[in-house]
Amino acid sequence: MLRGVLGKSFRLVGYTIQYGCIAHCAFEYVGGVVMCSGPSMEPTIQNSDIVFAENLSRHFYGIQRGDIVIAKSPSDPKSNICKRVIGLEGDKIHTSSSSDFFKSHSYVPMGHVWLEGDNLQNSTDSRYYGPIPYGLIRGRIFFKIWPLSDFGFLRDSPNGHRFSDD
Amino acid sequence: MLRGVLGKSFRLVGYTIQYGCIAHCAFEYVGGVVMCSGPSMEPTIQNSDIVFAENLSRHFYGIQRGDIVIAKSPSDPKSNICKRVIGLEGDKIHTSSSSDFFKSHSYVPMGHVWLEGDNLQNSTDSRYYGPIPYGLIRGRIFFKLPSPRFCSKLEMARSKRSLHTSVCCG
Repeated sequence: MLRGVLGKSFRLVGYTIQYGCIAHCAFEYVGGVVMCSGPSMEPTIQNSDIVFAENLSRHFYGIQRGDIVIAKSPSDPKSNICKRVIGLEGDKIHTSSSSDFFKSHSYVPMGHVWLEGDNLQNSTDSRYYGPIPYGLIRGRIFFKIWPLSDFGFLRDSPNGHRFSDD
Repeated sequence: MLRGVLGKSFRLVGYTIQYGCIAHCAFEYVGGVVMCSGPSMEPTIQNSDIVFAENLSRHFYGIQRGDIVIAKSPSDPKSNICKRVIGLEGDKIHTSSSSDFFKSHSYVPMGHVWLEGDNLQNSTDSRYYGPIPYGLIRGRIFFKLPSPRFCSKLEMARSKRSLHTSVCCG
């Protein structure tokens, strides 16, 4: 009797671990559903929007300028950030704001990316903490599923003037 | 006939994916065997040494000063680095070398760690590329297979090596 119960519990634990691992690998390598919070990507992504993220691009090093990515926060490893890639390694980034008289720029170091939110006035991003290592990127957001009024592929950056790869 | 072969292939693929995922999660969350290369951690870890790495500490944020960690390289996301944690977030790090007259120091930012190799003369580490985000750490090395070259066991636990480049949390 006890042996039957023990046997059933072990089988249950076994199946749970098995399918848990498969689900984890699916989220890790293929993609999943993510809920974004915060105002830093408005108007492209609003607070509490639900989006699809795919994780294949980062494993194949296919992240490009203009992609919206999810990354681990460089200042808090327990949380994630959701920003747009403005520059890849080697790109020249204009770090002065448009109101400055003297323009300043810097180059993105090897193995790093420069991220900025679409809502430039209300976004803590690389303009604040500098370029982040590529290794922190978790996935690429490519599709919004909620709210239904905004269902579909995500728009390009409203700040097209920030892109520069000279 | 064809249906039998297709059925068998699908089952095979299914089992492969299943056990592949379980193995991947075991390596990702529990640990695995790693071969280190390079001179930057001598004499603690020599070139081509085989070590055991566990990944639980980083998931539970239990990495401490003195731990040897494997992390993704900040300058090349395709490769890994193997260094010792000298400072955690908020620690004060002496960045001047011992020959400098004016001592300089900096503080490790939030969410970052300061890494240095044990072989200070031949190690590219945080003294070169600065503190790295905690999120790049993959695992903690805790055991080394005895190298046939040396008879004595090398101390792998949090080392008493003179942490001359760090001062306690400030």
